[in-house]
Amino acid sequence: MKVELLSHTPSKELLLTLPVSELPVKAFISHLAFTFAIEGISRACSHQLVRHRVASFSQQSQRYIQVKRLQEHVVTPPTVADKAREGFESFIGEASDAYSELVARGVPREDARFVLPNASETSLLMTMDGGSLMHFFGLRLCSRAQWELRVVAEEMLRHVKAAELDLFEEAGPYCVQLGRCPEGRFSCGKMAEMRAKYRGD
Amino acid sequence: MKLRLLSSTPSVETLIATAMLTTTSGAAPSNLFHRLSANPGKVAEIVGRLEVQHGSILEHNRLNWVLEAGEGEVLKVLLENRFFTFTRLGSKEWLASANLRTVIEYAAEGGEFGGLILESIRERLPTVYAFGRRGA
Repeated sequence: MKVELLSHTPSKELLLTLPVSELPVKAFISHLAFTFAIEGISRACSHQLVRHRVASFSQQSQRYIQVKRLQEHVVTPPTVADKAREGFESFIGEASDAYSELVARGVPREDARFVLPNASETSLLMTMDGGSLMHFFGLRLCSRAQWELRVVAEEMLRHVKAAELDLFEEAGPYCVQLGRCPEGRFSCGKMAEMRAKYRGD
Repeated sequence: MKLRLLSSTPSVETLIATAMLTTTSGAAPSNLFHRLSANPGKVAEIVGRLEVQHGSILEHNRLNWVLEAGEGEVLKVLLENRFFTFTRLGSKEWLASANLRTVIEYAAEGGEFGGLILESIRERLPTVYAFGRRGA
């Protein structure tokens, strides 16, 4: 997996061009966009990612791009690698063979892809404004979030903090942002640990 | 109503070209972006083909304007298009922002604000401006 911040609207540039305003820089966070390249994640992960609707996505198309050597382009969850690697790899091999056979028989790629697993790798371009990013971090840095997307969120946070520390110094899972856990009875109970991780408290 | 473009995401046209190729080429988007950043001619050629692409590839950016307008005029824009963001700066002064897809689609509907935002990108984004003019 690789996450890279390709481009963003620098807050300093916007503030310098603004007419005099008494509003703090954080008031403008939703006017700033951040574009990331997110590569080598599973389709299961990208499906969770695109649920964040206040964002823009350009994802590799399985209609246009033929999958080659599927076995080399899958994401294996750590639990699967630990407990059931052989069965998983066997299934991926079968899926790869089935896909290749469908394509060889003249089935269009857009239909042959129906046999591809959620583990298939994908890459995409994603753009979010700063306000939506704070919401994304609130949800996806939570210890209950899907592990792969949590890793993506960690990488994104690292990049935006490097680029705009003042804007994202309070970013973190919602328990850190709000000072209380919104997960109710599903709470992990690790608020202090999370505050220490994201705020250094 | 007066509108002035303040700033935009850097490398907007390179991002558009990267988005176009990401969906169809199989190459990693970061590699595409860095290769295209070193080849403005290729970017212009790819972005010149905009008419055959989905509007979503125009969304990887954000433009910021200062708008002088009354509350009623801002409300009209918001009711017509939910993808604009406004922050009040003064009694009749607003910070407005949107991505290029919103600009192009709103401009195509006509009206004073649509005409103003399209004209505001003429110098900074000539290829996208020409695309918008064809659609408007």
